[in-house]
Amino acid sequence: MSEAIEASSAAVSLPLSSLSQNPSRGFAARIIGDALSRWGARLGLAWISLLVFAAVFAPLIANSHPILLKRQGEVSSPLLRHLTPTDAFLPLMSAVLCVTLALRTLAWKRRFVVLAVVAVIAWPLCLVAFKPPQTVVYDQYREATAQGQVEWALYTPIRFSPSDRMRDQPEARLGAPNSEHLMGTDIDGSDIASRMIYACRIALSIGFISTGIATIIGVIVGSVLGFFSGWVDMIGMRIVEIFSAIPTLFLLLAFVAFFGRNLYLMMVIIGLTGWVGDAVFVRAEFLRLRQQDFVQAAHACGLPLWSILFRHMLPNGITPVLINVSFGVAGAILAESVLSFLGLGLVDEPSWGALLSQALGAGGTFYWWIAVFPGAAIFLTVFAYNLIGEALRDVIDPRAERSATA
Amino acid sequence: MITYVIRRLVLMVPTLLGITALVFFVMAYSPGGVGGPAMDQQENIKGQEAKRIREYYNRRYGLDKPPIVQYGRWLNQISPVGFVPDEKGELGKFGFKWPNLGESLVRHRPVTQLIAESLPITVLLNAVSIPFVYTIGIVSGILAARFRGKWFDVTTGSLFLSLWSMPTIWVGVMLIGFLANASYLKWFPTAGLHDILADSMPFLPRFTDAGWERGWLLDTMWHLVLPVVCMSYGGFAYLSKLTRGSMLDNLNADFVRTARAKGVSEGTILFRHVFRNSVLALITVAASIVPALLGGSVVIETIFSIPGMGRLSVEAVQYRDRELILATTLIGGMIGLLSDILRDVWYAAADPRVSYE
Repeated sequence: MSEAIEASSAAVSLPLSSLSQNPSRGFAARIIGDALSRWGARLGLAWISLLVFAAVFAPLIANSHPILLKRQGEVSSPLLRHLTPTDAFLPLMSAVLCVTLALRTLAWKRRFVVLAVVAVIAWPLCLVAFKPPQTVVYDQYREATAQGQVEWALYTPIRFSPSDRMRDQPEARLGAPNSEHLMGTDIDGSDIASRMIYACRIALSIGFISTGIATIIGVIVGSVLGFFSGWVDMIGMRIVEIFSAIPTLFLLLAFVAFFGRNLYLMMVIIGLTGWVGDAVFVRAEFLRLRQQDFVQAAHACGLPLWSILFRHMLPNGITPVLINVSFGVAGAILAESVLSFLGLGLVDEPSWGALLSQALGAGGTFYWWIAVFPGAAIFLTVFAYNLIGEALRDVIDPRAERSATA
Repeated sequence: MITYVIRRLVLMVPTLLGITALVFFVMAYSPGGVGGPAMDQQENIKGQEAKRIREYYNRRYGLDKPPIVQYGRWLNQISPVGFVPDEKGELGKFGFKWPNLGESLVRHRPVTQLIAESLPITVLLNAVSIPFVYTIGIVSGILAARFRGKWFDVTTGSLFLSLWSMPTIWVGVMLIGFLANASYLKWFPTAGLHDILADSMPFLPRFTDAGWERGWLLDTMWHLVLPVVCMSYGGFAYLSKLTRGSMLDNLNADFVRTARAKGVSEGTILFRHVFRNSVLALITVAASIVPALLGGSVVIETIFSIPGMGRLSVEAVQYRDRELILATTLIGGMIGLLSDILRDVWYAAADPRVSYE
């Protein structure tokens, strides 16, 4: 493995200065480290970390249920009572992730194994332990406070759940930002700040999972095409041509319209339509690599095909795919928001794109707060990933500064 | 060259078959089925009648046949050579015929007519946007390469990257909200491509007794401002970065040093020597920008309610209008593939070193 990684530094022409910096680190680690030394990538990473924080701790940031409540002499925690399995699972997994990252001696492979094992054990436990009631009455706390039944209550910073439609206050619909609703309310009367915080979950998960699917398909297809070339390549490139000739957005619309609205389906569909760029890239890389001596040597040793393809060639050709991954996540987030904007997104789940579509009301009214905040969130997220992608590109291919291989 | 173009055109056929087959079978095997809403409208009709309508649809489009047979029927319908259908829809003798894109399931109008109405609008939008994108992108790219590392380079670099990251849906909504809204600035119209009264307007602006009339041409241009802005701003970044990159590559080349040594003026070096050598990279992108703009028109035409191809295809998809979806896919795919071929031909024309013989 390590020989292959060392060989990769020869494959991608790096300037000598960056090679000699710290030879003990792997190629990928060096690339990521170099990219993160740029301020653009740092800004991008800071924004994404903020989003991750908001997504993981969403119920503790915005919730209609008080954290602690003393009512008629009884202290209870409605927030804990209403936690969903996801709400509990996300902080747990991020805590495990932090612990594995803190143990510096642990190998990456071990970290993945630990995470996977914990996830497999924890998810059913969360499902059993956290069973929020089917019907949730959000008004009860406001009503109880108004009637003076509440002695004291401790609330989260934003006192509204994303699906708290403020049924007790119909006049709160489409309200401009004020001291209670910092970013105003939407067409149903839900708090926009709260919806935006929960929408981070969808945006981040769509971004990561659909790009993951796209990258896996793209890498497998690209490596097979590049390695075998000949008639396999001929047929494969026609398939690639088919996918690249249809505007992705149109293909996406067609898939979603015909297969219904489902978060996981949407991830799969965005992934299935986005692999072409990776495939073309990996194919070109493999076409070049298959001529090299170490591949011939692996052949001569009688290694099985999967080993040559994925253990010897792939580590040499994979690092530049990082650029595509970063831009791909931005593209996937954009795709989700466009679908939601066009009314083909998830029903009732908070999403930035769906919020944005409410900004232009019937009769020519314009609710600026519904346009500005969710739109800015999409923009900043896409911008953050693009900044990281740019930094990675500059580091991986220093010639890109001067050449046209954009 | 001609043999090369013919070979590429022939190679288009399997790709187009693949594209339409992909979309066709996605539709055929989807849970909702084709033309769902069109058939569901019949719910309130009595059973007997609903059955008759369903039978009519089945006969007309062969919806009760297996998908592969349906696809064969559709291919026969659009192909210029095939079985000529008779009045009952049964397949007759084999021979030449006029290709037929079918009839929209929802609007009950020939698809060719619908596309003939909306394609010119999308082409108009693109024809206005592309020169903008190219002029600004290329000029700023050249200047950024010329003043590499100076403030112009740095500013346009980061400005264009942030412009590129701006989602079209956001920019569109904000432009309509702030620039076409009575409560902020009512500078531009909100929607559509013409005023309601545009048909009765004279073509050019003129003064009459009633005062100034803006005329059809100005009215259309006025309606085009916001959509065109929305469509073009994202392309600047891409083209500018690309131009800058390929210019920098050539600025360090030996022939530039020779030209400088000869005493050729800086402007001539930049535009006649360096830019002409950098144009190849731009041609490569030109082809990929055309399908991207077509895809972009989906969003823009929906936001600005412009009845172009993008909006037509969104509506087709929403109503699961099979014939219309297949036709828009076919045409979109053809445009994409043709622009690929055009790129390669153009490439050979621009660079004598490239040859396909």
